[in-house]
Amino acid sequence: MIKRNSSIWPYLLVAPALIVVLTVVFIPVINAILMSFQNYDLRRPGRIGFNDFKNYVDVIRDPLFWSALWKTIVWVVAGVGLQFVFGFILALLLNKKFPGRGVVRSLSLIPWVTPGVLIGLMWRWIFDGNYGVLNDLLLRLGLIQESLPFLAREASAFPAVILTIVWQGIPFFALMLLAGLQGIPEELYNAADVDGANGIQKFFLVTVPSLKSVIYVTTLLRIIWVANSVDVIFNLTEGGPAYATQTLSVYIFNKGNSLNLGYAATLSIMLTLVLATVAVRYLKTMFRNQEGKA
Amino acid sequence: MKRIMMATLAMVFAFTAFAADKVTVTHWYWADNPKYSATMQQMAADFNATNGKGITVVAQEYPWDGGAYSETLFRAVMGGGGPDTSSFKLTSTPLFTANNLLVNLDSHLNSWKDKSLIEASLYDTMRQASGTKSVYVMPWNTQVLYVYYRPSLMKKAGIGVPKTYAEFLEAAKKLTMDSNGDGKTDVYGFGMRGAKGGQEPWGSFIWARGGNFEKMDSPQAIQGMQDYVDLFKNGYAPPTAPMDGFQEIIANFKSGKTAMTVHHIGSSAGMIETFGDDVDAFPFPGGVGKWTSMGDTENVMLKSAKNKDAAFEWLAYLATGKGQETWCTVTGNVPVSKTVKELPFFQSNRFMKVSIEGAPWAGILPILDTTTEWINNIWPNTVSAALLGKISAAEAMKKLQAGLWD
Repeated sequence: MIKRNSSIWPYLLVAPALIVVLTVVFIPVINAILMSFQNYDLRRPGRIGFNDFKNYVDVIRDPLFWSALWKTIVWVVAGVGLQFVFGFILALLLNKKFPGRGVVRSLSLIPWVTPGVLIGLMWRWIFDGNYGVLNDLLLRLGLIQESLPFLAREASAFPAVILTIVWQGIPFFALMLLAGLQGIPEELYNAADVDGANGIQKFFLVTVPSLKSVIYVTTLLRIIWVANSVDVIFNLTEGGPAYATQTLSVYIFNKGNSLNLGYAATLSIMLTLVLATVAVRYLKTMFRNQEGKA
Repeated sequence: MKRIMMATLAMVFAFTAFAADKVTVTHWYWADNPKYSATMQQMAADFNATNGKGITVVAQEYPWDGGAYSETLFRAVMGGGGPDTSSFKLTSTPLFTANNLLVNLDSHLNSWKDKSLIEASLYDTMRQASGTKSVYVMPWNTQVLYVYYRPSLMKKAGIGVPKTYAEFLEAAKKLTMDSNGDGKTDVYGFGMRGAKGGQEPWGSFIWARGGNFEKMDSPQAIQGMQDYVDLFKNGYAPPTAPMDGFQEIIANFKSGKTAMTVHHIGSSAGMIETFGDDVDAFPFPGGVGKWTSMGDTENVMLKSAKNKDAAFEWLAYLATGKGQETWCTVTGNVPVSKTVKELPFFQSNRFMKVSIEGAPWAGILPILDTTTEWINNIWPNTVSAALLGKISAAEAMKKLQAGLWD
């Protein structure tokens, strides 16, 4: 019988996963960090080389960066916030027993399983100012007198892309919260009934506290995903008109597409720092709450 | 046993020798519609059947995607993949030559019997684009932008075909109509392209006022921009114009929502299919200056091409062979081959005539290493900002000048 060396064996088991993670995550990350300190513009290959902190200084001075950062904040807060609210409502509805619940649960997942590119293209036609179904609907209902160019106006383009991402993300929250709702013991509600709690009190004093961990994890995941999302905005507006829908991730994509990879890498590092700050703060609060509960 | 082994070896050698004679050339292209897509596949099949040298072209289609095709090709080739030959736009030449990705075609051209079938000036343009004395890009076809219009709508508005820039602006105003009397505009005079690609028709406005691309912040160029903005602000272009791209301007014209729009002969077949005789074209009229965009499509051989002679055979077939005639006949593009240009089809086509009429003042944007980003990001966002009143025409032109030249 082979005698296993207990000090090496765990490392050997972890090694394959570690190698994969190092290869597909750490190497590209280190490469991106190095690139962010370089003048790495493939349109000018002769000038590629380290330029210290020039990219970072340029980014700080770039008005498009600040405008994109602000748009990212609005995009994430409004997008994730509304997804959460409507997702919660949908989860509560789907938690009730009614005929055809299984079918409704399955259908409600459609936006989530549809590819982002397709969602972008689909909503682009829905919002179309000349032939879009939304204009047709509003005209028939008499709510507007003339078709509105939703994606061609600054004031309406950004709300339109937010509406699209909200539509896409509701099922994710609904699904996760529904799973959480089904794990709440019935006894808690019975005890609340005995104490004379009404529906609203039961919701805020039993349901929400019981779902706290699920809410923390799902919102954190969505914040990161939505902040990094490019497909929906790019296929709807490409960041226009007049940069009105250009979030940081779309700005990074556009810069990368223009082959200015050094500048795109710098913007990516900045976005990572912003997201890391949010995530660390968020996780700290979550763990503090859990410790307090324990 | 020995006999079987010998026979097997003989078969392997025979197969290897046969396979060695077969050469495969992978070609990338884009197509504006399914018909053009099928045509390119037919051309590849025709070339494969007739070249007599055992060359097999595998034509692979990629989307044009508002110009992103060039970046897709660049990334593929930089990553060590990509095709042997590809359709190409001249504006991408600096990017590809700077990264040493294209084959210098000089030696192939010098020993090519059909070299003189293409105008020498076209080779000069190709050299100019590369910034060297060599040709890296093989001419294929050109498209001169002009104005499509509906004769019936002109008649209804009581105007004739504009001959001057001032008349053109006036026509855009008069063609904006409430045709059903419900108090709302349902026909817009000008189908404006505010999204990517719109820089081509927009350039005609700048030049018509006496401006140019070298100094876009000159008073003349700013005036041209102001005219462009005014067309939108005064309601002579659809409210969706800031985000309208190729598909939208063509759809708006075909649905009767716009009375004039700027595009090239590539759209003519679809226009005739929709309107029959009720569609015609005129060259974009000049004012102080005169300019229209020369769309161009070329082909290139990538450095990674495994068999360069075979790849050149295919490029030659496209430039002056049967491929030139087939492609230009189906798409309506202006041929680069002198013999194909002389064919009756090209001599009698009314849209071809307008293209040829506009050719003397047709030009291209300055080809710089900033041009691609300028076209894809800076131009659409800056012009939409001006159209939406966020910045003035002067501010927009200052930004455009800096974006292209700084």
